[in-house]
Amino acid sequence: MAMAAARRALLNHLRVPVARPATAAAVAAAGSVPVARLLSSTTEVEKGSFLDKGEVADRVVSVIKNFQKIEPSKVTPNAHFQKDLGLDSLDTVEIVMAFEEEFCLEIPDNEAEKIDSIKTAVDFIASHPQAK
Amino acid sequence: MAAAAAAAPSKAQVLSLFRAFLRTGRKFSDYNIREYTVRRAADAFRDNRALADAPAAAAAFADGKQQLEVAKRQVLVYSLYAPKAKSVVEMKIQ
Repeated sequence: MAMAAARRALLNHLRVPVARPATAAAVAAAGSVPVARLLSSTTEVEKGSFLDKGEVADRVVSVIKNFQKIEPSKVTPNAHFQKDLGLDSLDTVEIVMAFEEEFCLEIPDNEAEKIDSIKTAVDFIASHPQAK
Repeated sequence: MAAAAAAAPSKAQVLSLFRAFLRTGRKFSDYNIREYTVRRAADAFRDNRALADAPAAAAAFADGKQQLEVAKRQVLVYSLYAPKAKSVVEMKIQ
């Protein structure tokens, strides 16, 4: 009992005073960073936000219109690469690679095989967390 | 080994090889080499798409795999000696 009281007294005596102003400044500095980062697009990517489907559709269509073998007038939101746009399987691979570059993502082989129309491409990219 | 090599590659295998070529070609830092590699791969796959007999297709597939290894090595070599300045063609895009 006496030991405990003596120990407490000693510890109280030895306690190092905390420099309050320094911590307050540090908290303020740390507090200002998230505000700045909220406004930057990188935080959204880190969180893995999803792109708006309408925006994805627009960008997908513009990528396809820029593909040299396609007549831009034929491109509709429901077009099938091989049936409607007259592409072969090699063209489809090239188109999917173009999507990868446009949206900065990597599409694995088994997923890339499933993308055969504008609709499936938009669905896949809109549900991909890293697309940007 | 010889029997396996003579069998024609499946469509999925060929497309996978093509995809690997495009992926590798894209990594070249030099604009000219990058565009050439991608264009050359696409042309070669189109030229050989109609190969009817299995041995010829298998030979083309094996050759493609070897060329892919060459391209992968060259990506590395070119990255070691990449110039600091980019091509004028690329500057316009950015």
